Amino acid sequence: MNQPPPSVRSDAPLLEMHSIAKHFGGVMAVAGVSLHLAAGEALAIVGDNGAGKSTLIKVLTGVHELDEGEIRMEGRLVSITNKRQSRQLGIEAVYQDLGLVDSLDAAGNVFLGHELKRRVLGLNFLDNDRMAREAARVLREEVGIELEDIHVATHHLSGGERQAVAIARAIYATDLKILVMDEPTAALGPEETRNTLALMQNLKSQGIALIVISHNLDHVFRVADRVMVMRAGRAVATLDRRSATKQDVLAYIVDAVDTEAA
Amino acid sequence: MIMALCLVMAFADLRFFRVQNLMIILQDASIFLVLAMGMTLVITGRGIDLSVGSVAALSAVIMAMLIKDVGFNVFVAMAVAILVGVACGSVNGFVVTKLRVPDLIATLSTDLVFRGLALVLAAGMVLARFPDPLTWIGRGRIFDLLPVAAVIGVIAIAVGYVLYRYTPLGRYAVAIGGNTEAALLTGIDVHRHKIYQYMLLGGLAGLAGILLTGRLNAIQATAGMGLTLHTIAAVVVGGTSLFGGRGSMTGTLVGVLLLSMVVNALVMLRLDFFWQQVAAGLIIITSVAFYAALQDPSTGGLSGLLRRARSGRS
Repeated sequence: MNQPPPSVRSDAPLLEMHSIAKHFGGVMAVAGVSLHLAAGEALAIVGDNGAGKSTLIKVLTGVHELDEGEIRMEGRLVSITNKRQSRQLGIEAVYQDLGLVDSLDAAGNVFLGHELKRRVLGLNFLDNDRMAREAARVLREEVGIELEDIHVATHHLSGGERQAVAIARAIYATDLKILVMDEPTAALGPEETRNTLALMQNLKSQGIALIVISHNLDHVFRVADRVMVMRAGRAVATLDRRSATKQDVLAYIVDAVDTEAA
Repeated sequence: MIMALCLVMAFADLRFFRVQNLMIILQDASIFLVLAMGMTLVITGRGIDLSVGSVAALSAVIMAMLIKDVGFNVFVAMAVAILVGVACGSVNGFVVTKLRVPDLIATLSTDLVFRGLALVLAAGMVLARFPDPLTWIGRGRIFDLLPVAAVIGVIAIAVGYVLYRYTPLGRYAVAIGGNTEAALLTGIDVHRHKIYQYMLLGGLAGLAGILLTGRLNAIQATAGMGLTLHTIAAVVVGGTSLFGGRGSMTGTLVGVLLLSMVVNALVMLRLDFFWQQVAAGLIIITSVAFYAALQDPSTGGLSGLLRRARSGRS
């Protein structure tokens, strides 16, 4: 196996994934995919169902352990074998189901697992007021959304608000560097989609890198800097948004461009 | 519901409203208040514990034997009862989490184990006549009026309220019950917190055993048989979701009082004891079904209904 140079380069991209392979039994879900990502950059991954998009990002978020290949963060070789390691590296994922506890309010969800405490009579109690204030602040300043009532259970919030809460949690949970979003606009109405796309631009401007899986090329082209097309476990093309058109991307997705020839 | 009951009783028998009778209701409710506090947390965490009646009996039998046979100080013996309860609870928690036995099966089985141990230890005997501190806790009255046990029960609920709202124990019960996967992802030690919930409930079952012994001034291994179902019913009537993730300590307080009032009303109406059992069971089903309908997700639960009623008016 070829060992890449072990030295740590200062100009290394935020994230590099080299020749990632993952198979389930005899099925190659991801067959040697490489990608790189800079801080504040948004990479969209598109492709048909079963193209390997989800598997690839689940390798990054520690849901699946990779079989082959390597992952580098800022040039440093990292090992991601579980979700916790991934989070410690500043990688968070917001999946379609958002992973919220519906009966808790926004603050309860944002601070879940690392609640703010307050000492009373030598005992530690949850500081619900401070968490509510702080969650409202993160939502307002970093996610760009104001909830009508910060104390309402997330069950009663709209799809976009719920997504904002999930993102606020991702921001607060770690020193967020990479946010993986799986179909962020699939369940949203037009107004909320606009808000979510604006939110994504906002995250980019704060230096957070985005990896977005989406079927909606309109949305992809509004937020992504580059678009990677996957088919049958391989990355068949990575296109620059400024030079490519939706038709180009579509052609790669449906295999109208003969990539195997040449 | 409470109002409906009061209305019926107003016609049936006004003695229901005598202060003495209300105090009897409180006295009856006290054991359930203690148990229901812990049960609320366990059920909110999407668990259940069917062994609390046996844990109460086992703790009480051990305490009674320590006092009567070994000559333990009564306070030390009471502390032991609570510790026995905590130990039983941690067994439940261990079986449910580490051995991955579904809670229903796990606690149904440990119910047999704990009951069996109590029967073995007591060997068919009824232990009776205990020192004053124990009977004072169980049947004493403050100012000849307020039952001591009821005060303990209400304090338990108050502590439960604080635990539920202001400590990780309660917060994580909500998280684990509401979305176990999300709780795991945020790094919450789900197993550990489930075990804590069962330990707390176990300790409270030990306390319930003390109250039971003190009230009757006697204990036998078969005591506390109906405690478990009654406790769960009260918790569910109080609005805690059997599917986890949503609980209410104040609701539990109301649920316990409501069920105790129903049982008391049945006694007042001089219903035959065996028919009382039938009626109590039917009333529990009715009230749980009633609250289940209120909590139906399609209606948005009680709060959803209220909100719709409000917005309909405006």
